[in-house]
Amino acid sequence: MEAGSSDAVVVARVLRGDVEAFRGLVERYRDRYARYAFHMLGNREDAEEALQDAFVRAYRSLARCEDPERFGAWLFRILVNRCRTLGARRGRRARTFVVDEVALLGAAEEHPAGATAWREEIDRALQQLRGDQREAFLLKYVEEMGYDEMSQLTGVGVSALKMRVMRACERLRELLSEVYDA
Amino acid sequence: MRDETEEDIEQIARELRVPVAVGRSLDARIMNAVRNLPRHTGFGLWSRLITPRTVTVTPLVWGIMAAAVAAFAVLGAMHAGQDLHRAAKPIASALFPAPKAADRSQRVQFVLVAPDAKKVAVVGDFNGWDASHVGYQAQHRGGGVWSVTAPVPLGHHRYSFVVDDSVWVADPTAPRVTDYDYGMPNSAIVVQEQK
Amino acid sequence: MSVVARTLIALMLVAPQAVAQDARLSERLDKPTLIAVSAIVDSARVAKLPTAPLVDKALEGAAKGSDGQKIVVAVRQLSVQMGSAKRVLGSSATPDEIKAAATALAAGVSLRDLARLRSASGKRPLTMPLAVLTDLIVRDVPVGTATGLVVQLARSGVKDPELALFQRNVRADIDRGADPSVAATTRARGLVLRSTGSGTKPSE
Repeated sequence: MEAGSSDAVVVARVLRGDVEAFRGLVERYRDRYARYAFHMLGNREDAEEALQDAFVRAYRSLARCEDPERFGAWLFRILVNRCRTLGARRGRRARTFVVDEVALLGAAEEHPAGATAWREEIDRALQQLRGDQREAFLLKYVEEMGYDEMSQLTGVGVSALKMRVMRACERLRELLSEVYDA
Repeated sequence: MRDETEEDIEQIARELRVPVAVGRSLDARIMNAVRNLPRHTGFGLWSRLITPRTVTVTPLVWGIMAAAVAAFAVLGAMHAGQDLHRAAKPIASALFPAPKAADRSQRVQFVLVAPDAKKVAVVGDFNGWDASHVGYQAQHRGGGVWSVTAPVPLGHHRYSFVVDDSVWVADPTAPRVTDYDYGMPNSAIVVQEQK
Repeated sequence: MSVVARTLIALMLVAPQAVAQDARLSERLDKPTLIAVSAIVDSARVAKLPTAPLVDKALEGAAKGSDGQKIVVAVRQLSVQMGSAKRVLGSSATPDEIKAAATALAAGVSLRDLARLRSASGKRPLTMPLAVLTDLIVRDVPVGTATGLVVQLARSGVKDPELALFQRNVRADIDRGADPSVAATTRARGLVLRSTGSGTKPSE
């Protein structure tokens, strides 16, 4: 994909039948959204599955993308839904959080040993949050969205979202203070 | 206190904002999956869509809706009994030019908790999706609770709340419908006649 | 007369009447969109499909600020889905059943499953079961699981108010963090046991 071409231009090419142009969108959003999927689902395998699902669904429904210029936001919405589904499925499995995943996925940046341990604890604590609270926390603090935007994205009311974020923050503090008190 | 509180969460968030990379084989898997799907057919669709396919005009025929059992979903628990009782006498809807079968209505209470809202309206199939429709403006009842009780014709309807003329919010208490078409959430309501 | 000539004459005859059929459409849609939507509505009327949902779909798009092309695509798609639904549900299907079925199809229910639900429900109206089914799917109960459960409930003769309560309970469970699939399956099992008289522990 030409570096400068807008999402709308690429979407238009795909809609005209140029399947390969879709790769440009994959490359543009894959890493940006891997972060959310990984934090939401807690492991690489599920994160990749959610991303793949989201891209494939986006391709299939591309003609229904309301505003191709904002393809990214639309894709993100699909991804958030996929993560909910996969998260629910994952909840049924007896699952242990594999710390190595953090090292594997965070390979883009080198951390000093102490920082890595801290990061692992954060990831571990995050996975102990309830799914809806984790979702709200990630959207608010990591994706840095406003509550109105979150509400549109999730279909959940602003006050409920604020409550979820507040509970998530409380729980994270609790879990992480346990680590340091120990 | 607040700063300190925010700072510890901000520190956690900073850690989590570090980019996460995924395996490059993912691209290939996605592209393989996509290539196996039907190819999009292009903008020819638009010109086809604006060409009328059928030319006969027949009188509007409205099926008679099956009368059934209880009102559904957003009937607020507190007011439901009262509303259902009142609804035993169908209310002729003079608010919009509805077809005959839908002349019979029930009064339905819509409730949204939105503490920060300045304005809340209900829009849906029953009022032409008109956020300025006078009959469907919710009132603030205090404590962030907004509500309006309005006539809704018998049948299946899709609807949503519009907060401050800009934010679309699905009814958290009602069944959902898919929202791919226009990308904003909708709820569903099935209004049925009382036995 | 050539097809083109007939189409042109038909367009001249139809367009003003179609426009006249719902003033709200002409107020809120631009001209090309209005003509396209009116044509779809007219086709639907000829096919004896309900037309109000199509008008509503267009009005919804206008209210949400969608461009004309998106609106026409959405209206066309709904029309196609209502056509499919009507073929499966039969000519006795009510407009509400057709509309609810089209909504379920949009959520991912297959025509085969729609037929299963039709036969499981006997002569009872399908509107409520379809609304509940759609809701389960939107709340991330897998399509197969959701369909299986609603078909089972229909087969057990579960009434609409009970279905509505089932939907509210499942939603509340999910809101409290339950796995959607487990919540739906558990609640459905309780309802089936109760309605078939083989269970003694209503959970509400």
